[in-house]
Amino acid sequence: MTAPAGITLSGLSKTFHGRGQVVQALRDVTLSCPPGSFTALIGPSGCGKSTVLRAALGLEPLDAGTVEIGGQTPAQATKAGVTGVAFQDAGLLPWRSVARNIALPLEVLGRDLAPASGRIRDLIALVGLSGYENALPGELSGGMRQRVAIARALVSEPQVLFLDEPFGALDQILRRQMNIELQRIWAETGVTTLLVTHGIDEAVFLADRVAVMQAAPGRIVDILSIDLPRPRDAALFAAPHFHDLCDRIAKVLHGA
Amino acid sequence: MARDARKALPPILLLLAWEVVGRLDLVASGALPAPSEILLRLWVDRADYPAHVAATLTASGAGFVIGNLVAVLAGLLFVLSPVAERMARGVNIAIFTLPPIAIAPILTLTLEGMTPRIVLAALGVYFVTMQATVTGLRHFDSRAADVVRAYGGGPGAVLWRVQARGAVPALLSGFRVAAPNAVLGAILAEFGGGGRFGLGSYLLGSLGRAEPDRLWSIGLVATAIAGLSYAVFALISARMLGASRALSLNPAAPPQMVGGRDPLWLSLAALVLPFALWWAFLWALSVPEMLGKTPFGVVDYLFLSDSAPKAQERLLAALAETLPITLAGMAAGMAFAFALAVAGRLTPAFARAFLPVALVSQTMPLVALTPLLVLILGRGTAVTLWITISVTFFPAYVMIAQGIAQVPRAALELPRAYGASAWRELRLVTLTAAMPWLFAAIRLTAPRALLGVMIAEWLATGRGLGNLLNQSRGYLDFGMIWTVAVVSVLLSVGFYLLAGAVEKRVLRRMGMTGGG
Repeated sequence: MTAPAGITLSGLSKTFHGRGQVVQALRDVTLSCPPGSFTALIGPSGCGKSTVLRAALGLEPLDAGTVEIGGQTPAQATKAGVTGVAFQDAGLLPWRSVARNIALPLEVLGRDLAPASGRIRDLIALVGLSGYENALPGELSGGMRQRVAIARALVSEPQVLFLDEPFGALDQILRRQMNIELQRIWAETGVTTLLVTHGIDEAVFLADRVAVMQAAPGRIVDILSIDLPRPRDAALFAAPHFHDLCDRIAKVLHGA
Repeated sequence: MARDARKALPPILLLLAWEVVGRLDLVASGALPAPSEILLRLWVDRADYPAHVAATLTASGAGFVIGNLVAVLAGLLFVLSPVAERMARGVNIAIFTLPPIAIAPILTLTLEGMTPRIVLAALGVYFVTMQATVTGLRHFDSRAADVVRAYGGGPGAVLWRVQARGAVPALLSGFRVAAPNAVLGAILAEFGGGGRFGLGSYLLGSLGRAEPDRLWSIGLVATAIAGLSYAVFALISARMLGASRALSLNPAAPPQMVGGRDPLWLSLAALVLPFALWWAFLWALSVPEMLGKTPFGVVDYLFLSDSAPKAQERLLAALAETLPITLAGMAAGMAFAFALAVAGRLTPAFARAFLPVALVSQTMPLVALTPLLVLILGRGTAVTLWITISVTFFPAYVMIAQGIAQVPRAALELPRAYGASAWRELRLVTLTAAMPWLFAAIRLTAPRALLGVMIAEWLATGRGLGNLLNQSRGYLDFGMIWTVAVVSVLLSVGFYLLAGAVEKRVLRRMGMTGGG
C-alpha cells in the first residue's frame, strides 16, 4: 500500500442563502490531519461538520478556503482514487449485490475489476460479511449495510478515508461493535482518517485528536489530543481516564 | 385457503347476481345480458374477431413502441436540459390533455391507412412514459449519487450508474399505464377513420343494431386486451421491483405542477411551440389548404370568413351543451371519490376489497364502456353524466386512496393517543393529508372528463361538441373539424391550468407546497 497522504483544510468559509436569511455555515475552518492520523470532528447537529467533509471531497462548493489531500486538490485526489468515503446512509444501489456494490468505486475510477475480486472477498471477510457476497442490500440489516459501505470505502485502497457519521443510524450496542472493528481496520491499513460524528464516546475511542465544532457560525472551537494507548479495546469504555476525556469534550461542546 | 376463498366470494356473488338479472332481462328490457349470454355470443361471433383484434393490436402495438421510444428520448432530454423541458411545456400539456377523439378526424383527414391509429395510440402513450422517465431519472438516491461523485464521477457517471437503472421501476409502471392508453387511442382512431377492421370499427358497425350481447362481448374483448397489456407490465415490474425497491423511502407527495417563474422568452417559446409544430405537421405532409387548416385558417374560418357568424353560433351552442355537463359530472365524480376514499380510511377492509375493482375498471377502454351505458341508460343527459362520473371517479379514487394510505402511521396514531375520536382524527390528519391528492386528481382527470363527455355526445346523445365534430365529419366541413379540435384541446388545457392554479393557491395557503 502506498504511504498515506495527509489532509489540510485552510480557511474554509461558506454561507447559505435561503428564505431571506443568510446562514454562515462555515467560518474560517482550519484543520490539518497528518498522514496516518485519525481525527474526529465532533459538534451539535447543524454545526456544519458534514459540510466540512463534503467540501473536503469537493462535493460542496466553498466561498473561500482551500483543501489539499496529499498535495492535490479534492477533484484531483478523488479522481486518482486517493480517497475513500462512507456516509451516514450506506447509499447502496439496491439492484447490486454486496460484492458489486463494493466494486462500484473501482468502476467509477475506471479500474480493472478482475484483479480486485480477491481483495473484495478479503474486504467482505474483514467487515464480517462472508457468505453474503451475492445478497442484495434489501436482504441485509441496517448494520450489515453499513459494513458494506465501510468495505466499499476501503476497496480503492485509499490513502485518506472520510467517514460521515457512518454508524449514526445504528443502535448503541451495534455501534460499539462497529467502533471496535473500525479501529482494527484502521490499525491494519494505516489510512489517514477524518471521522465526522456526534458521539463523544465514539470520537474519544477512535481518534488521536478530536476537533470540536460549534454552530452559527460553524467553526472549530478547540482541538484536543487523545493520549489513550493503542490498541484500544472494549474495556476502555469503562476506564476512568476515558470518561475524563469525554467530560472535557462535553464541556467544550457546551461552551463552558 | 380459507382467506383466499373469502376474497373470491364477493366477485363470485356479483357474477351470480349479474347472471340472474341478465337472464330475467331486469335492466332496461335486456340491455344488460347475462355473462353466459355474452360469452355465448362471443363464441357465435368467433370468426369475426381475429381480423378486428389483429388490426387493433397492430395499430396499438406500433403506436406503443413508437410513442414510448419518443417519450423516453424526450424524458432524457428534459432531465439533461431543464430549458428544453420548459420550452416543451406547452406541447407536453397539450398532448396530455388533448381529447383523442377530437383529433381523430383530423388525423384521418391528413394521414393514410393505419397511420392515424398508430399516431393516436402513440399520443396516448407519450405523456405517461415521458413523465415516468423524468420522474424515474430525477428521483434517484442522492446518497448513492454522492458516493459516485466522491470518486470523481461526473454527471454522466451518475446518470449511467445510479439514475438509469434506478428509473427502470418508474419506467415499467409508466409502460403499465400507457399500454391500455395505446389500445384506447387505436380504437378511438378507428371510430373516426372508417376502415373495415379493428374493434372500434366493429363496435361502431354493431351500434345501430339492437344486439346488446354483441356490444358487450366486443367491450369484453377490448377490456381484456387493455387489461392484459396492463397485466404483462405489472408482472414484469413486480419481478424487477423485488430487487430494486428503495432501501429507505422518501416521503411521497403527489405529482406537482412544474413550478417557478420562467423568463418571458421561455414562456413565449412554450406557448408558440405547439402552434409551430401544428404548422410543421401540415407543411411536412404538404396537406392541401382546403383539408388542412393552419392556425390562421382556423381564425379565418371562425372570425373572418362569410360563414363565420354561423360557425360561431353552432360552436357556442355546442359549448353551452358540453361545458355544464362536464363540470357537473366532474364535481360529482370528485365528491364521490373523495367521500369513498375517506370512508375507506375508516373501514380499511372495504377499501381493500374495492381498490382492485377500481383498478380493473380503469383499464376498461372508455369506448367500450360508452355503448354499454347507452344500452342501460338510454341516449339522454343521464348517460353523459354517468360516463363523466365514471371516467373521473376511478382514477381520482385510486389517487386519493393511495395518498391517504401514505400518511405515516405515527401521524394517524398521535391524535388517537390523545383520545381523539375517529372522526376527529380524520378531520385533523387524513382530510388534510388527502387535500393535495384531491387537487392533483382534479387536475389530472379534467381532460378525461371532457373526453368522456365528447365520446358520449358522439356515440349517444347527438348533442354538444362531440356531436358537432361527428356531424362536421359527415358534411366534410373541414373548417369546423379543425375548429372543434382546437377548441376542445384549448378547453382541456384551460381546465388543467385552472385546476393547477387553484391547487397551487390553496396548497400554498395550507403551507403544503411540496419542495421539489
